[in-house]
Amino acid sequence: MTLIARRLAGHLARGFVMILVVATISFFIINNIPGDPMAARFEKLIEQGMSPDAAAQSVKVLYGFQPDGTLWQQYLDYMGGLLRLDLGESVTRPGTPVLDVLAEKAKWTVLPVLAGTLLSFLVGVILGVYAAIKRTGKLGDALAISGSLLHGIPQYVLAMLLVVIFATLIPILPADGPVDILFEPGFNAGYIGSLAEHAVLPVVTYALSAYGGWILAMKSSVVTVLGDDFILAAELRGMKRSIVFRYIARNAILPLFTILALSLGLLLGGAVFIEKIFNYPGLGLLLIDSVNDRDYATMGGAFLLITVAVIVANIVADLFYTVIDPRVRSGEEAR
Amino acid sequence: MSATLIPEAGSATATMRRNFWQGVWRVMKRKPSRMAGVVIVVGFAFMGVFGPMFFPEHLPGNVEAITQPPSWEHWFGTDPQGRDVLALVITGSRYVLLCAAVTALITVVVGTGLGLFSGFKRGRWDTVIMRVTDMKLTIPGLPLLLVLATVWKFGSPIQMGLVLGLLGWGGVARAVRAQTLSLRERGFIEAARGLGLSTGHIVGKELLPSMAPYIAMNMLIAVTGAVYAQVGLFFLGVLPYESDNWGVMLNLAVFQAGAMIQPNALGYLMAPLLAILLLTLGIVLVVDAMDEIFNPRLREE
Amino acid sequence: MPEQAPGVRIGGLTVVYKTSAGELPAVRDVSLTLEPGTITGIVGESGSGKSTLALSLLNAVQPPGRIAAGSVEIDGLGDVAGLRGEQLRKARGKHIGYVFQAAQNSLNPLKTVGKQLLDLGRSHGVEDLPGLVREAKELLGRMGLDGARVLDSHQHELSGGMRQRVGIMLALVLNAHLVVLDEPTTALDMITQANILKIIREVHAERGLTTLVITHDIGVVAEVADRLAVMYGGRLVEQGPTREVLGAPSHPYTRGLIKAIPRLVGDIDEARALPGRPPTLTTVPDRGCVFRDRCALRMDVCDTEDPAAVPHGSRIVACHAVTVKEHA
Repeated sequence: MTLIARRLAGHLARGFVMILVVATISFFIINNIPGDPMAARFEKLIEQGMSPDAAAQSVKVLYGFQPDGTLWQQYLDYMGGLLRLDLGESVTRPGTPVLDVLAEKAKWTVLPVLAGTLLSFLVGVILGVYAAIKRTGKLGDALAISGSLLHGIPQYVLAMLLVVIFATLIPILPADGPVDILFEPGFNAGYIGSLAEHAVLPVVTYALSAYGGWILAMKSSVVTVLGDDFILAAELRGMKRSIVFRYIARNAILPLFTILALSLGLLLGGAVFIEKIFNYPGLGLLLIDSVNDRDYATMGGAFLLITVAVIVANIVADLFYTVIDPRVRSGEEAR
Repeated sequence: MSATLIPEAGSATATMRRNFWQGVWRVMKRKPSRMAGVVIVVGFAFMGVFGPMFFPEHLPGNVEAITQPPSWEHWFGTDPQGRDVLALVITGSRYVLLCAAVTALITVVVGTGLGLFSGFKRGRWDTVIMRVTDMKLTIPGLPLLLVLATVWKFGSPIQMGLVLGLLGWGGVARAVRAQTLSLRERGFIEAARGLGLSTGHIVGKELLPSMAPYIAMNMLIAVTGAVYAQVGLFFLGVLPYESDNWGVMLNLAVFQAGAMIQPNALGYLMAPLLAILLLTLGIVLVVDAMDEIFNPRLREE
Repeated sequence: MPEQAPGVRIGGLTVVYKTSAGELPAVRDVSLTLEPGTITGIVGESGSGKSTLALSLLNAVQPPGRIAAGSVEIDGLGDVAGLRGEQLRKARGKHIGYVFQAAQNSLNPLKTVGKQLLDLGRSHGVEDLPGLVREAKELLGRMGLDGARVLDSHQHELSGGMRQRVGIMLALVLNAHLVVLDEPTTALDMITQANILKIIREVHAERGLTTLVITHDIGVVAEVADRLAVMYGGRLVEQGPTREVLGAPSHPYTRGLIKAIPRLVGDIDEARALPGRPPTLTTVPDRGCVFRDRCALRMDVCDTEDPAAVPHGSRIVACHAVTVKEHA
């Protein structure tokens, strides 16, 4: 097996275990909710005239396991369902499988998070290089401080500040949902324009909260590389400036990939707040709503999906790193 | 700054300690922002402990002045019940700080314990503990807390502190383990063993003192995360109303007073926000200062 | 562009570093001539300024340092200290080759040696790149390495000795005729050291180079250099033919150095270390002789006047006591 395949296998195995753990946590939580909603539903259905078997079946369809039976049996039922990608049905949307709900909402989370990450990465990396080169001057200092500050501010604080400034005090951007309902969905200019307009603040919030991390990491990385011997060696050998620059850039960006997964994870976790504040119908808002509506199957599904997204981000980031850094490749092969 | 030549061991340590604090003072003076950080954190601690004592148990509400914007009388305006927002922030700080204290305690105790154990024993236990820590760090914290909130309403500050602490010891554990391993590599542990010192002595007298700064720094970082988490949870409204803590204020401000839609309730919204910002800023500055003091590479002597 | 070995004339070179205490000299008023086709060795302890001197040959003193006075004339290039920008860049690598210490990572860890060689070629406008690669393989082969394999490797896949040879190859592959080697054998084991020194001697002779070797190890200088220059505290205290300087050192510091080396035969107690410690950038006295605090021949004039470099036959020595003795 090639190195990359081996590492991938390792990650998949660990990821699988993690998903197992998370699913188990979900299961135990659903099972132990005070007031036992499943039993309650079971009772209600029987009252309405359903036979016990049919009622049990109905509950099972919703939650993934029957209200009675041993814990082990319930667990197996639940896990079995997950393997078949059956996450139960949404109580608040009768008849709709949770999976479908998740699929519909996922894009509202994933796309803004990716956009925010990309934006903050680009800006942070470029400014980070600047901050490193001019680190003794005022501009470099200011950049570094801006990064530290933004890095420390919690996401929802940022979100609320942005809303207050740009939507309330100086109303230039909307902060109430993903798109203006006046527009017909489809590939028309009005719809797309409104989508973009409404996406600005959420994406900027994601970007600003991640920016700090990037600029600080890039600055530190560039400073380290600038002090490396091989840069001086390249200059003493008369290499062209553009080539030396490329040497610095590639070597400095490399360690940033380890942060990529972390950053994505943080943003995905914080999506809960941002979607609530901006009323964006993504997985975060779904999670909150399902908790408040007591739609526990959906809650479990949303939680699972968010975690899976973070795990996938981790795997992708690490594989990226393995491909780019030859030292890692050789190190592994030597074993 | 001269070391006196009195050959008593006690005085020598006293002198060393004095020199240390003088060094700290110098670092603080160099960048006044660090001093500001300490002042802020101490100020908040003060506010949390003594602040609510200045106000009655239930703040008086003025029904004729609900949701007022900032004015001279009420620096941050009033809430939907007519209560002064600034007073609310001060009384609400007790919850936040109490919870933060509990979180800090648990993080340190559990984190240090596991980190030491992991670094000391190595082998299989180490791998297991590290895997668990990794897993915990990967699972997104906020969603997990949300889900947990359905089974257990951990509303009281102590319960909240407990939960957050149990979720947040990862950073401290990692740092402690790294330090233990590095000290082990440098032969500290072997040397002590060779001298016949007991494990307890090694841990207490040799390892812990040198790790104390890193433990403290990581703990403070965990505390900022905890403040952010607890305020956030109350803001989202998944926990029952506990007291007028900052998160509840934010929740009411946004969803009841419509602070994001009309400027009237801005004071109500901004006050707790600013409080959170200030507290987090203070802690970050203190951590920065500690980093410079204890990390000799960064010091620009 | 001379096809033969260039001569180098360093005249009154002073290099200063900016510190919180002002600009302090790391190299002060150094004059040294490298005759075409010779190997010169510069010996000094760490902090003596020898590496700074070497960098000056390529006008590559890094900020906060700068060349404050003097000139570095190289045949075919003029005064290197006055070169800037593209001119300077082109001179480096093509006219002057610089070989780093073995311990340093002088290669980009992310790229193979071969790719970096191509970068080097493109930077210097080499049109026949395959020819360059062939030349490189030949050079590496001549030094005992499998050229093709080395070119395909990354830095971390090569041992210290291999990296050093790659460094030498890169310094020579563009046909430079002036080569500077900074501590070429430090951090290498004894056998590899001997090999590298042999390669330096042979390549120097084959290609007709002018070579400068910087080292703290007198043994290295004794083995390869025609002429020897001794540095202390930023000053050049003695220079002359290697055999002569080593056999009959004039300057008290040089004598102290030689005396400190234990001989293979004889009483080990005869070796005597020099008392005291060499000065650092901040502790160098700004007036008088740099060496006076450790000197057995100290005189009153040593405290106030900096000794000038006075020639005595084939030797040039900067010492009041020696000057007095020679002209007595």
